[in-house]
Amino acid sequence: MFDSLKKLFTPVESLEASQLRDYIDSHETGTYTLLDVRQPGEYESSHIPGAILIPLPQLADAYEQLDPEKPVVVY
Amino acid sequence: MAAQLLAGHGFKHIYNLAGGIKAWQGEVAEGPVELNLDMVRGDEMPEEIIRLAYGMELSLGTFYRTAQATAGDTDVVALLDKLASVEDAHKQYLLQLQATMTGREISPKAMDGEVSQKALEGGFGTEDLLKNNQKFLHSIPDLLDLSMMVETQALDLYVRFANKTDSQETKRVLYRIADEEKGHLAALGRLRQEKSSE
Repeated sequence: MFDSLKKLFTPVESLEASQLRDYIDSHETGTYTLLDVRQPGEYESSHIPGAILIPLPQLADAYEQLDPEKPVVVY
Repeated sequence: MAAQLLAGHGFKHIYNLAGGIKAWQGEVAEGPVELNLDMVRGDEMPEEIIRLAYGMELSLGTFYRTAQATAGDTDVVALLDKLASVEDAHKQYLLQLQATMTGREISPKAMDGEVSQKALEGGFGTEDLLKNNQKFLHSIPDLLDLSMMVETQALDLYVRFANKTDSQETKRVLYRIADEEKGHLAALGRLRQEKSSE
């Protein structure tokens, strides 16, 4: 029970756009995941290069596609 | 919301982009997830992927050189020349990567002969580019914007190729090629900054 409470309060860090830019510039492609949780139409219109698309309604079923060891940046 | 969900499933390092993509100031890619993914099956060995990337870079270089004939402005012609030589550098990098990964050295000429028609025609859609973007040939900033757009699409495509690939080794190769694109995109961005303040 304590474990699931802990997960509930795991802090998620907020990144400013400029910080994300710095992060991308200083980390090799493939060492982190960029996750786009919007709808396909929005992704198609424009997305951050290299982002994976998993629309939010599908995330609960599809999250296993992602490597939990890699940092994830969600937008 | 998405972040909390991931936290609940054991993801260790989660970040949220404040303001979402609207806050993003950098380059953006367009197109659905499947765009040009039909160029790969998903089971390619590194060597085949390198040949594919090489074909795409070759066609882009040809595009820049062909565009020189239509461009009137000598500054634009000079920039097209520079952009074409960036493509040559991309190709050199790929040949080195090939040698490192497979131990097989191959000359540019031999590689030129091995690339598939599919790679030349697909990828960056250079024929369409030339048809639809004549105006970019008249202005340095426009040309740089076009080039950055193409490089950004390339970066995105290589990562999407990697997501489709089964082989860890091929994924690694694609990530390295993507990083090469990143580097050139950064250089183009700096050049763009320079030119806009002239």
